[in-house]
Amino acid sequence: MSSYSKRHRLIGILFAVPALIFLLTFVLYPVAYNIYLSFTNASLSARKAVRFVGLKNFTAMFSNKLFKQYFWNTCKWTFWSVLGQMLLGLGLAMLISQPMKGATAIRSFLLIPYVVPAVTLALVSKWILNSDYGIVSYWCQQAGWLDARQSFLAMKGPAMWVVVILNIWRSYPFPMLIYWAALKSIDRDLYEAATVDGSTKWQSFLYITLPQLRATTAVLIILRIVWTATYYDLIYMVTGGGPTGSTTTLPILIYQTSFGSGQLGAGAAISMVLGVLMLGCIVIYIRNNMKEE
Amino acid sequence: MKTSSISRQKRNAAIVTAILLIFALAFVGFPLLWMAISSFKPGVDLFVVPPTILPRSWSLEWYQQAFATDTVVRYFLNSLKIASVVMIIDMLVGTLTAYSLVRFQYAGRKALMMGILASYCVPPIMLLLPLYKIMATMGLTGSHVGVIIGHLTITLPFSVWLLIPFFKKLPREIDEAALIDGASEWQVFARVDFPLVVSGVISTGIMAFIMSWNEFLLSSVLVNKEAMKTLTVGISNYISSTHIDWGIIMALGTITTIPVILLFAAVQRYFVEGMTAGAVKG
Repeated sequence: MSSYSKRHRLIGILFAVPALIFLLTFVLYPVAYNIYLSFTNASLSARKAVRFVGLKNFTAMFSNKLFKQYFWNTCKWTFWSVLGQMLLGLGLAMLISQPMKGATAIRSFLLIPYVVPAVTLALVSKWILNSDYGIVSYWCQQAGWLDARQSFLAMKGPAMWVVVILNIWRSYPFPMLIYWAALKSIDRDLYEAATVDGSTKWQSFLYITLPQLRATTAVLIILRIVWTATYYDLIYMVTGGGPTGSTTTLPILIYQTSFGSGQLGAGAAISMVLGVLMLGCIVIYIRNNMKEE
Repeated sequence: MKTSSISRQKRNAAIVTAILLIFALAFVGFPLLWMAISSFKPGVDLFVVPPTILPRSWSLEWYQQAFATDTVVRYFLNSLKIASVVMIIDMLVGTLTAYSLVRFQYAGRKALMMGILASYCVPPIMLLLPLYKIMATMGLTGSHVGVIIGHLTITLPFSVWLLIPFFKKLPREIDEAALIDGASEWQVFARVDFPLVVSGVISTGIMAFIMSWNEFLLSSVLVNKEAMKTLTVGISNYISSTHIDWGIIMALGTITTIPVILLFAAVQRYFVEGMTAGAVKG
């Protein structure tokens, strides 16, 4: 029997070997390699010899005044994007979990942004915000919120809000779906008991729904912070980090440093800093998920 | 008296719900709808002030122009090829891995599980530089190998995670009975368990296809040959160029998005099931 169970275990491991090899080679090794790169002067050109430079990349980064601004941009972008998508996700989850005709169809429709390519959203937003022919720009110009032939994308303050709103558009479906499932799992009897005791809808929401969603909310926030703070595509395609750096976040800076100025070592150092900042979130997320194992 | 006030309350609540939902649907639908409408507007209707909602006539000129050169077709085929390979590898490797994690007990199983979760959390921007350096050193940036590997780093952990609940639902007793009857572990997997989760595997594969199709960052860096570029990277170049053909861009955006929405509609039931089983995933 023991040789059988040994064999059984071995076969189980064999099933996982391809994934294991892949993750070690193309995730773990690259992460380690990135740490190594951050201490070198590695550049885009393959001909230049890679030299160890100690902490130079890090000291250069922290003494750069712009780095502080880009760091705050990242915080602002992450905070408002996550807050917006969580609130919108929760609100819509509550709407679609009411009994009504066509609920499934509405839910399906509201999930669409989850799979819309970021490039599509970027293209459309640049079109509707076009200073001359964009329909949203036109409406805002008519309403007097915007000067004639002007676009929000060209304005330092509003550009950040535009990308945040676009990001909320594409990322609310995930929290919505998770909240929708969580709402379904709340015991109906709790609400009935509360109604019998004379509590209003608002009170039920405050004292039953919200506490029941606490664990879900915590995990969602952690995961979405990681995804948002490290997200590159949308800002790059909509504003390119501009105007004058006002929407440059750390991922954009990593890209510009590495592929714009060709300083891979310096780029690796920035992504190390970003990675360390995210590490706390990732650890909490994993511990939370492993608890039920 | 009381019942009528309750029913009135209910009716008011239903009206409020309906109004909010209409706003939500408009918020979601407007950009996509506007893109599609713009792509069918002839130039004279596209560039008018004030913009008109519906064109006076519909036209296919932007689609004709987009497909006039074979560049777009090539981008399309590149994306199709990359996403298909990614999908197949994810289905094979992901299924084996999820099965191993659910059905077997061995030292290191928990560590592997954590490794997959951790890989899932590692954002593409962190892998960008090292993957680029590795692929460039190996001379693979002129092929699709690098992009496929890059996409697998994102989709494989996701696929495993999405597949686990489908295997968890299967009763263990069937396996045990088959093993006692003398079937090997592989036979149990291939003949007994796999057929029962096939819809979950296919829908997971299609989600991986969609993620690969949509991916931008890794695709933009890990391929440096113009003719090898993916659709997302190819069309993003249309915006950065100085002369912007909005009509063509809207047509390209529409044809990039439609396949994705159709595929998603086909597998959504399984996706929702997999995502909402148990804990929060991603």
